Amino acid sequence: MDFNYSDLQRMLLEGAERYLGDHFTLEHTRGLRASPSGLDEAAWATFAELGWLALGTGEDLGGLGGSLADVAALASALGGRYVAQPFVSTAVLGAHILGKVSSPRVDLLEAMIAGTALTALAHREPGERHPSIGGRKVMVTADGDGYLLSGQKMMVLDAPSATHLIVSASLPDSSLALVLVDASLVTSVDAYPLLDNSRAADIQFDSLRLDASSLLATGGEAERLLGEALDRAGVVRLAQAVGSMEAVLRICSAYLKERKQFGQPIGKFQSLQHIMADMFVVTHQSRSALYQALAHMDREPGERSRAISLAAITIHEAGQLVSRQGIQLHGGYGVTDEYEISHHYRHLLVLEKTGGDLDFHLRLVGRS
Amino acid sequence: MDFQFDEGLADFRLMVREAIRADLPAELRERQSKFGGNQSDPQDMLAWTRIAAKRGWSVPHWPAEYGGLDWSPMQLFVFQDELAKAYAPDPCWGATHMCGPVVYTFGSPEQKARFLPAMRNGEYFWAQGFSEPGNGSDLATLRTSAVRKGDVYVVNGQKIWTSCAWMSEWGFFLVRTDPDVKPQRGISFMLIELNSPGITIRQIPQINGEAELCEVFLDNVEVPVDNLVGEEGMGWTYAKFLLDHERTSSSFIYLNKRELQRAKDFAASQTLEGLPLDQHPEFQVRLARLEAETTALEWSVLRTLANEQYQYNETASASVLKVAGSKLQQSITELQLDLLGALSVRLYPNEIHERPASPLWPDDVAGATQRALIMRASTIYGGTLQVQKNIIAKLAFDL
Repeated sequence: MDFNYSDLQRMLLEGAERYLGDHFTLEHTRGLRASPSGLDEAAWATFAELGWLALGTGEDLGGLGGSLADVAALASALGGRYVAQPFVSTAVLGAHILGKVSSPRVDLLEAMIAGTALTALAHREPGERHPSIGGRKVMVTADGDGYLLSGQKMMVLDAPSATHLIVSASLPDSSLALVLVDASLVTSVDAYPLLDNSRAADIQFDSLRLDASSLLATGGEAERLLGEALDRAGVVRLAQAVGSMEAVLRICSAYLKERKQFGQPIGKFQSLQHIMADMFVVTHQSRSALYQALAHMDREPGERSRAISLAAITIHEAGQLVSRQGIQLHGGYGVTDEYEISHHYRHLLVLEKTGGDLDFHLRLVGRS
Repeated sequence: MDFQFDEGLADFRLMVREAIRADLPAELRERQSKFGGNQSDPQDMLAWTRIAAKRGWSVPHWPAEYGGLDWSPMQLFVFQDELAKAYAPDPCWGATHMCGPVVYTFGSPEQKARFLPAMRNGEYFWAQGFSEPGNGSDLATLRTSAVRKGDVYVVNGQKIWTSCAWMSEWGFFLVRTDPDVKPQRGISFMLIELNSPGITIRQIPQINGEAELCEVFLDNVEVPVDNLVGEEGMGWTYAKFLLDHERTSSSFIYLNKRELQRAKDFAASQTLEGLPLDQHPEFQVRLARLEAETTALEWSVLRTLANEQYQYNETASASVLKVAGSKLQQSITELQLDLLGALSVRLYPNEIHERPASPLWPDDVAGATQRALIMRASTIYGGTLQVQKNIIAKLAFDL
């Protein structure tokens, strides 16, 4: 075992932290709320230049062939600046599905790597607390030499900036299909921001006509790919959360040294020292849990999902403790929009609630 | 001992419930039920104070000679419980529960005549100017200075967390009139008109999308000496009187009860695997635990209201209510988010009328999320959780 970053990973991480620290300042991030799709186009172009959008894609498909651990290292850096850009949707979910289908979509992957195409996975449907892989109510049916797509998707993460949607749907025989949809063809889109200024949309497909090449995968292949993609995205989101928590530790420990009350830095008070120590313990445990999950990514689906849920329980609970106490340590400043801690709080809340949420993972582990 | 409510209280409850139902306009009720802030919409607070004043019910806790009612503590408890249940806007807290009691207890006859009727009738808003950027928990070392020059004090300094200062006409401030004595002894309590020359107000954007908390900058503001309340140097004593005056309010028991009910409503309406969440054991357990805590808190409040002879220092019991109540405010609103799941992280506009409606979304998501976010402040304002624990250790156990 070796838990140290490789030289390459260290270079990636240091470069990422430097760029993200310079670019994603608090003021810049607050300014992005005015962006129509939430996408920071300049940053996205830089993500492409730095190779981040190619990192998880195989070399045979024009990518860098990095491991999921590499992607997780980068995701931690993104979390450290509560970056709510659509990285996971394109560079993890989209890249995995489009690269692993029986006939990989090379042209689209190339555009994604170049930063000109972005994907979103449209999977959740109304009334679904925790979407399962199959049982989609959105239907795809044959129509001449193409298909028709009908039904309602809800809270599609990163849809507003996506050029392409990957939609999960049921075929007439109830088996699963993944279809690729040019986002410009979709007319009924209700887009909105989430608490951390990431974006989502409710999307209705009303007998949308698709050509024959839209069908990405069906049946067992579609189920396998979707499961893998969701699990990979889940782990990368956990890495974002761990990065966010580690940043909260840095921010809070600096604040405790700087803020004075009763004639001394508040970090001298034991009650606050113990809060900080509690935050440290669960953050340390979270990174361990993340590594445990990464270690199980090649296992069969049941084992893989269980390992991720075990990590998610630790990391979601830690994220709550760390970000709540981070606000507490800041006093009134913690509940303003003008200090970074409240942005980490909201980012961690979004990662938790959209990442299956705690009760889902508790049930999954409890039942398996 | 007698563990039953006093005779007649049930009838009193029905009486106030009926009166509130008759008086509370539907639009105020609607806005309050959807409001995503720590307190109510300030205009609604004023509007409701005016309506309640018509019955003489805007300041029932004040002495009768200043326009209050002779309701017992238990009657006041029932009244506030019914107000919360009915989604009535909050009282204009600064005026009716903080500054008002200081003015009628320590103010001059002129101050009483000038300000108390306006507070009672909700004529304008009052803001609290205590905390400063460098002095939150350590309030006694506040630095905003007031130097007497002839008929005025010249005030310089900065206040923060001044709720609704942007729409308040007056503020009640703690200022330092004597820098040369023990910190607590040099503080005075002063009423300052917020449109005075030299005052600049900045609204602070908050985690929940509101900006009701303000910074108030005072630059050579001239305040007539008549606006000093009571004696110079007694401000700390008055502030402690004010904070002790409402010993049970920091429990937020009425809001906790109401929000627990709202959590139960979410548990009944949201489903998991085809069943409402309240049919699933793990959510039943969480609701039950919070109901137990809320019930215990209510009985702790009743003990204080019924004037139990307390074996510990009474301020320690006030801190018990604050600690338990503020944590409950957080755990109940966070449970609401857990019940809503992923739906809870959508960001809605702060203004209720700007929130888009969609048949896919329950219409009370927006308020629930915003309230849960700002409830992180409940263990910070009014003395942080850590300060409350220090108080308990010191006053209950002399540690």
